[in-house]
Amino acid sequence: MTSSPSETEAAEVTEHPLQGFADAVAEAVEGTAEIHFDTVKVTVPADRWLDTHSVARDELDLVFFSWLSAIDWSNEVAAGDPLSDEVEERIELMTTVGDLTEGKRVTFSTTLDKASPSIPTLIGVYAGANWHEREAAEMFGIDFEGHPELVHLYLPNGFIGNPLRKSYPLLSREVKPWPGTVDVEAMPEKEEPSTENPEA
Amino acid sequence: MVIDQDAMRHLSEAQVSVELATEDMTLNIGPQHPSTHGVLRLVARVDGERAYDVKPVIGYMHRGYEKLSEVRTYPQITALINRIDWVSGYANEVPFIVAAEKLMELEVPQRAQYIRLILTEMARISSHLVFMASYPLELGAATPLFFALRERERVLDLLEGVTGGRFHPNFNRIGGVKPNAGAGPTTRKTPQDLPAGFLNDTRDAMDKVLEVCDEIEDLVAGNEIILARTKGIGILPPEVAAAYGVSGPNLRASGVAFDLRKVENYLPYEDFDFSVVTGENGDCWDRWWVRLEEIRESAKIIQQAIDGMPPSGTLQAKVPKIIKVPAGETYVRAENPKGEMGYYLVSDGGLGPYRLKIRSASFSNISILPWILEGILVPDIIAIMGSLDFVLGDVDR
Repeated sequence: MTSSPSETEAAEVTEHPLQGFADAVAEAVEGTAEIHFDTVKVTVPADRWLDTHSVARDELDLVFFSWLSAIDWSNEVAAGDPLSDEVEERIELMTTVGDLTEGKRVTFSTTLDKASPSIPTLIGVYAGANWHEREAAEMFGIDFEGHPELVHLYLPNGFIGNPLRKSYPLLSREVKPWPGTVDVEAMPEKEEPSTENPEA
Repeated sequence: MVIDQDAMRHLSEAQVSVELATEDMTLNIGPQHPSTHGVLRLVARVDGERAYDVKPVIGYMHRGYEKLSEVRTYPQITALINRIDWVSGYANEVPFIVAAEKLMELEVPQRAQYIRLILTEMARISSHLVFMASYPLELGAATPLFFALRERERVLDLLEGVTGGRFHPNFNRIGGVKPNAGAGPTTRKTPQDLPAGFLNDTRDAMDKVLEVCDEIEDLVAGNEIILARTKGIGILPPEVAAAYGVSGPNLRASGVAFDLRKVENYLPYEDFDFSVVTGENGDCWDRWWVRLEEIRESAKIIQQAIDGMPPSGTLQAKVPKIIKVPAGETYVRAENPKGEMGYYLVSDGGLGPYRLKIRSASFSNISILPWILEGILVPDIIAIMGSLDFVLGDVDR
C-alpha cells in the first residue's frame, strides 16, 4: 500500500480542506484515504490494524477513542432493504479516533473475512476499546484475539446469533408486520422537489 | 531468670503482625437502585470498606436501535433516537438529521438552524438541571432538587410549547424543523413559526435560570459535607479519559478544553460568544462545577441567539415528498449534554439507512467505571457514579 491512490483521487476531486490531513494520516499508517462528506476514512489491511492505531495515538496525537463498530456488507438481507448493487461479501470493521485540540478525527477501516472474522484487540492501545469490542463481538461475531473478557455485553448469556448481521432477521417484525402503510405498500415514485409543506 | 532476647523479639514481631482475617465479600448494587439512574448493575468485590474489580453489568435496557433503524425510513428514525438519552431527547435528533442532510447536500434555512440551536441548548440546560437536582440528593442533600427542577420545568414548558413534547420532541425534519405545534392546525399556505411570545418568554426564563444557578451555587458550594464528599474523590486524569473515550463535561472537568461546539459545524455556534469551561483536578467536585458553569454558558448562548434571530421565513429546505438519502457514508458528531453523540450513517440511496452506528456518550463515559472505582471506599461509589451523569438509555441504546 502506498499513498498513490489517494493522490490520484485528490486530483479528480476539487481540493477538500481536509485533504492534506487525510493524506498525512494515510502516509503515516500506510493506508488509503478517502473523504466522505467531511469524514476522513483511511482504509488499512487487517494485519496492520494494531500498528495503525499505535501510530495514530503516538505519532498523530489522535488520543481520543471515539468508537469501534462494524458493517456487514451482504447481498442477502433478512431485515431491511437489500443493497441496490452487488457488493463483495465482507465485514468492514471501523474505529473513529480524534485529537482533543483542533477537532481532527479519522475513521479507520479494515476488511475482515465474513466466515471467521478475527483481528487482534486494540485494548493495549486504547483501553476504551474493551466494551466496544465486546459489543462488536456479540453483534457481528467478530473474534478479537487477546481480549481478556470477550463475553456478552448487552445480550443475555446464552443468546444465540449475531443480531447486527444482515442475515439475522428482526424477529418482532417476522411475528407481526409493522402496521404503517410505508412498509407494506409500494411507495409511489415521485422525485421532483415539492414546495408544499412536507408534513401534509 | 534468663531472658532469651531472641525469643522475645520473635514474640513481639508475632504480636504486631497478627491481623484480623478479612474475607472478601461480593457486593451487588442495582439493577434497581436509585443511584444507578436507570437499570445499571454493579458487581464489586468488597474487602472491608474498599471495592475492587467492579464490573458494570449493562444491557437491561438494550432496545436494538441500530437494528431497528435498518427497517425504518429516515423520517421515522427521529422518533426512535429521541429515546436514547431521554433527559435531553431533543439533542439526540440533531446529529442524525445533520448527517442525513449532509448526504442529501441540503442547505438548511438559517432560522431553522437557530431554532435547533436554541432548543439544543435548552435540552442541555434541562439535562444539567436534572444533574444539579439528583447529584446532591445522592449525597444526602434534598433541597437543591426543588430549586433545579422548578427551573427545569420552566424550560421544558417552553420546549413543549414549540415542539409539542416535553421529553421526546421529534421536532427535526430533514431539511429543517417541524411546523410549530403551538400554532394550531397547520395549513399549507401560511408559514409556520415559533409560538407567539416565545422569544420573550425564553429570555425571561434564561434570566431565571441564571438566578437559580446562583441559588444552587450558594446552597451546594458552601456545604462542607458536599465538599468533603466530592473534593479529591474520583480523580480522572485526562489521558485516561481520552483513551476510554470519556467526553463532554466529564472530560472538560479533567482540564481538557475540548468542546465539539467549537470544532464541528453541525449548528452555527461560531456566531456566538461562549467559553469552554474546564476543571482543574478532574474530581467529582469539578464535574459538578463544570456542569453548573455550562448551564450559565448555555443561557448566554440562548440569549444571544434570540437577539440575533433571523427574520421569519421558511423553516424547511426543499425536499422531495418521499425522502431518499443518496448513497454515501458520513460520521456526524455533536456536543450533547452528556458528551460526544454521533451517528455513522451508511446509505444505499434507499428509504432507510443500510447501517446506522450510534455513538452515545454515556456508553463510553461509564466504561471508565472499572478503572475509576478500583480500590474506592464503598460510599464513594455513589458519589463517583453520580458525578459521571449518565443515563442508561444512552448506555444501552
